[in-house]
Order: sequence, then structure tokens, then C-alpha cells
Amino acid sequence: MINVLPRGAVVEKRELLLLAACVLAIALFAIASPFFATADNAVTILRNSVELLLISLGMSLLLAMGGVDVSIGTVMGLAAFVIGRLLTAAVDPSLAALAGILAGTALGMVTGAVVVFGRIPAIVATLGLLGVYKAAIYLALGGAWLSGLPPTLTEMLQVRIVGVPIAVIVIALSYGVIWLAMRRTPFGLHLLAVGNSEEKARLQGVNTKLIQFSTFVISGTLAGVAAVFYIGTYRNVEMTIGSTLALDAIAAVVLGGTSILGGKCSLLGTVLGVLLLRILQNGLLLVGVPSLWQAVVTGALLIGVLSIEGLSGRLQLKFAGATQ
Amino acid sequence: MIALRRMRGQNLVLAILAALWVATIIGLSALSPAMFNAGTLTNILQFSTILSLVALGQTLVILSGGAGIDLSIGGTVSLSAMLAMLAFKTGMPIALVPPACILIGLLLGAINGLLVTRLRILPLIATLGTLFIYSGSALALTGGAAMSGVPAWMLAWGRGTIASLPLPFITIALPAFIVAGIVLLWTAWGRWIYAMGFNERSARLVGIPVDRVRFLIYTISGGLGGLAGLISLAWLGSGRPNIGQNLELESLTAAMLGGVAIVGGRGGVGGVLAAVLLLVTLKTGLLRLNVNTVWQVGIVGILLIAVLIADRLTTHRR
Repeated sequence: MINVLPRGAVVEKRELLLLAACVLAIALFAIASPFFATADNAVTILRNSVELLLISLGMSLLLAMGGVDVSIGTVMGLAAFVIGRLLTAAVDPSLAALAGILAGTALGMVTGAVVVFGRIPAIVATLGLLGVYKAAIYLALGGAWLSGLPPTLTEMLQVRIVGVPIAVIVIALSYGVIWLAMRRTPFGLHLLAVGNSEEKARLQGVNTKLIQFSTFVISGTLAGVAAVFYIGTYRNVEMTIGSTLALDAIAAVVLGGTSILGGKCSLLGTVLGVLLLRILQNGLLLVGVPSLWQAVVTGALLIGVLSIEGLSGRLQLKFAGATQ
Repeated sequence: MIALRRMRGQNLVLAILAALWVATIIGLSALSPAMFNAGTLTNILQFSTILSLVALGQTLVILSGGAGIDLSIGGTVSLSAMLAMLAFKTGMPIALVPPACILIGLLLGAINGLLVTRLRILPLIATLGTLFIYSGSALALTGGAAMSGVPAWMLAWGRGTIASLPLPFITIALPAFIVAGIVLLWTAWGRWIYAMGFNERSARLVGIPVDRVRFLIYTISGGLGGLAGLISLAWLGSGRPNIGQNLELESLTAAMLGGVAIVGGRGGVGGVLAAVLLLVTLKTGLLRLNVNTVWQVGIVGILLIAVLIADRLTTHRR
């Protein structure tokens, strides 16, 4: 079981390939559109990546553990609703933000409890919860948008610490802490062991239920943090909030090289996967592809990468067979 | 012995579903006495037709095991209807719309089958990806607008009734379930599907062509989605890009409610048809009571989770 401990190089081939793909995409879009390679657009792309970076961090852990959460976008939506309501009630923005994060944690606990203690496959359970959370958002909003929120939270998030935006600091901290937890603590080892084989991990004495439950709680909490930045930027909550986030996150994480069969996790890959996805979405919009095609592009990217992996796996098997 | 136990489980499921159905009807009639008449029956069966076909495909995919699931099924329904209408608009003879719908559905299902059996992608990820590709394309190809122009002879079939039973239900959905039931219970293919779901390793060891059967099942599931798309055209009179929305959740709920085990190998199609009728009765009733459709998604979600938890509790007591 020890051999699942990630002792490999910090930067692997997968990350270099992704970086190359990002550079290539940037170069192509810069040629195709005069609006792409500008400082303003770069800020836009990074700005649009904030929530996805946080959600994808949680999704990386979930997928590496052999789980998944398709309801995570609506979890962010519900947390955003909590923050929005508190802001309109003139609650202190830092308290509202804290409440939103706690709402994410609580919903993570609900999801975790249903999956882990109900012993339901994560995909089915979270698909059911997606329906429940969608209805909850609709019920909470009462058919109308929550818009024109007071700018108090937005102002609070504009603070820079030694010139670095607070979003960058929060994201760097979250990734740093989880990276350390994955590499230097039993939690990371146990999480990957559960992803490899829950049965084997349990027989080795890992408290698999605790690991699974806490991973869903971490993912929910990160969705709560994402909601803070969402409200800070858009200052509204609409009915379809977060509806594409779960797929975007799964695509980004799979692009980044985290194995969907569990047992392998690359956080740097996830960051690059998110950036590549957002660069593609932004660039295609700028060269005139209607935004309705975005879901198709994301889906195609996901299937494309997995197909290439599947094909190369088959080829390797063939070569291995030939040399025997 | 296993077969005996399964039959008893199936009868138990059917009895529970029938009881729930009666309870639903009594409850809804108490809330609104004028709700149930012959027109309502027609209405419920009409709404059931699309869901029942999709749920049948979902059931076959789940039964055959291998973590099988078809999340793309709603996208298949939308895209097959939209592509067939688009082909008709660009000059294909109208008589070819029905076969085109089914053919496109089969093709989309075959893509899922290839991804799962050839490229060994986890079904949930593969079909999640194709769900977004299929449903996204259906929406993007027309910019989200509906496409009208379905000829009168198709509408006559899609909206016609015999003794207040809708024609599409009698001519397509019911026969599909009867054929599937016969195949599952009395043919080698049916035995293979159960064996694959029950224990894939031993199924391979006894020489069942697991991959070929699984590929065919995903293709059939797509074909059933194409049929559902065709029925939506003939019934609604236009191709709507969002017709398949939420069908993945509903079909999954129907299959689970109908007694199909999520790990495969256990369950039958009779329970699923009963579950579809129960679900649609509940939804129709709620619609009559002016409960918003978003609520229905929530209720279906809760139902799905409740059924699975109940299933876990009972199987571990045994």
C-alpha cells in the first residue's frame, strides 16, 4: 500500500504537455483575434477561473478518492444565496462570507452523509441531490433573481496584501495546504489508498468512511469559498447559478491527469487544466463561436482526452504483448 | 435458485409499486376531486411514453453491470429529434424522418458503447461527456429555437388514441417492454445480460462475449432514445432542443424505483414500467395542483435517494 505514496517528480510529463497546450492555444487565439492577447483579457480569463479553481481542487480530491460530485455547482449556488441574503440584510460582509463558507461545509456534510452512510454510488446520489438542490435554489429565490446586492463584500475583496489580490492568496493557500496534506500527511496516503481500492484500504486499517466523508466536506467548504468570490464579482444570484461548474471541474481535473479510477492526483495538473479550459472558452467566444457551443466544447475536450488515453493504453498493451 | 429469488423480489416490487400508485391516486383525488377521468389516463400514458422508452434503455444498461449508466440519454432524445428535423429542412424527404431519428439514436448510443467497451472509459464519465456534447449540440444547432413543420400524418399517429389509450404507447412503448421482457427472461441473451451484471469475471470466464453484448446494449439504449425523440416530434408537432432535459435523472429514478440494482444483475422491466407510471402520475397530479416543475425535479431527486437508502437497508437485513 506504501507504493501509492506520490514520490514522483513535482512536474511530470502531463503537466508539461498541458502547459504546451496552453501556450499553443494562447498563440493561436492571439493570431485569430486582436482582442485576445491584451492585459484586460488576461485579467478576465484569470477572474473567470477563480471559482472553477476552488471547485476543481475539491473535485481533484473526490475523483482521486474514487468519488464524484455532480451537484457541486448548485452547492456553490446555495452558499451564494446565503451570502446574498445576508448582504441585503446589511450584515457585516466578513460575517456573510463566513456564513456562506459554513453553508458550503454543511451541504458537503449532507452530500457526504448520503453517499458514505447511505452507501449509494456517488454519481447516483449526487445526481439525486442535484435535483434537490436545484429545487432548493428555486424555492429560495422564489422565481426571481437576487440582484443589485450591496457592494460591501466586493469592496472587502478588493483589498490587496503587498500588492497581491486576495483571490490569488486564498487560492494559493488552499492549494498549498491540500498539496502538503496530500504529500506529507497520512490523510493523502489514505485518500489515495481508498481511491485505489476501498476494500483493500479498509483491510489495511484505513478508516475509509471517515476519509470519504471528510473529502466531501472539504469539497463543500471549497464550494462555499468559491461562492464568496462569485458574489464579490457578480453581485447577483440567478436561477441557473453554477449549472455548468461540475462538468467544467470534472473536465479540468481529468485534463490535469488525476485518474478517474482513483488513486492518482495532480493538483498542478488541475490548475493547468482549469486555465486551458477557460482560455479555450474565452478564445472561442472572441473568434465568434456562440456561447451555446461551450458545453459541447467542454464535453468534447473531456471525451477527447480520455479517448487518447484509452487508445494509447491499448497501444501500450499491444506492444507489451508483442515483446513477450 | 437465484432466478426464483429474483422473481419473488420482482413480485414484491410490483406489489409495493401498485400500493404506492393507489395511495398516490387516492391522495391526489382527495386534494382535487375532479382530477382523475379518462382524459387524465390518456394524458398520463402520453407523458409516460417517452420516459418509459428512455427508462427501458437505462434499465438494460444498468442491468448489464460494469458500473453501467447512461447519463447521455436525454441528450440523445433531443439531438436525434433535432438532427432529423434539420435534415428534413435541408431537403430530406419527410417519410425518412422516422427512420432517421432511430438511426441517429442508434449511432449516438454506439458512440457511448465504443467509448465504454473499446476505450475503457468509465461509463459515468463517458456518458457525462456525451450528455453535454449531445444536449449542447441540440441547443446550439438551432440557437435554442424549436423547429416546426411536422406533417399531419405523423401528428395523427402521435396524438391519436384507441379507447383513450395513446397510439405511441400501444404501438411502441408497450411492445418494446414486452420484447425486452421476453428477451431478458427466456433467451440466452437475457441470461447473458444478468450474468454480466451479477459477476462480470465469471461471465467472461464462461465465454460470454461481454464487450460485444455491452456495446449492443448501449447502442440499443441510444436507439430507444431515438424512438423517444421521434415520439416527441409526432406528439408535440415540433422539435424542441430541451425535450430531453432531466431525463437522465428521471430514467435513473424509474429504474431504481422499479427494483433494478444499481450494481447490475438484479431487476426486471415490469417493475420499471410500473415505476414510470407511478412517477408520471405523481408528476401529472402535481402539475394539476399547480406545483412548479422545478419542484418536481426536487421530488424526483428525493425519491431516488430514498429508494436507494431503503434498498440498502433491506438488503443488509436479509
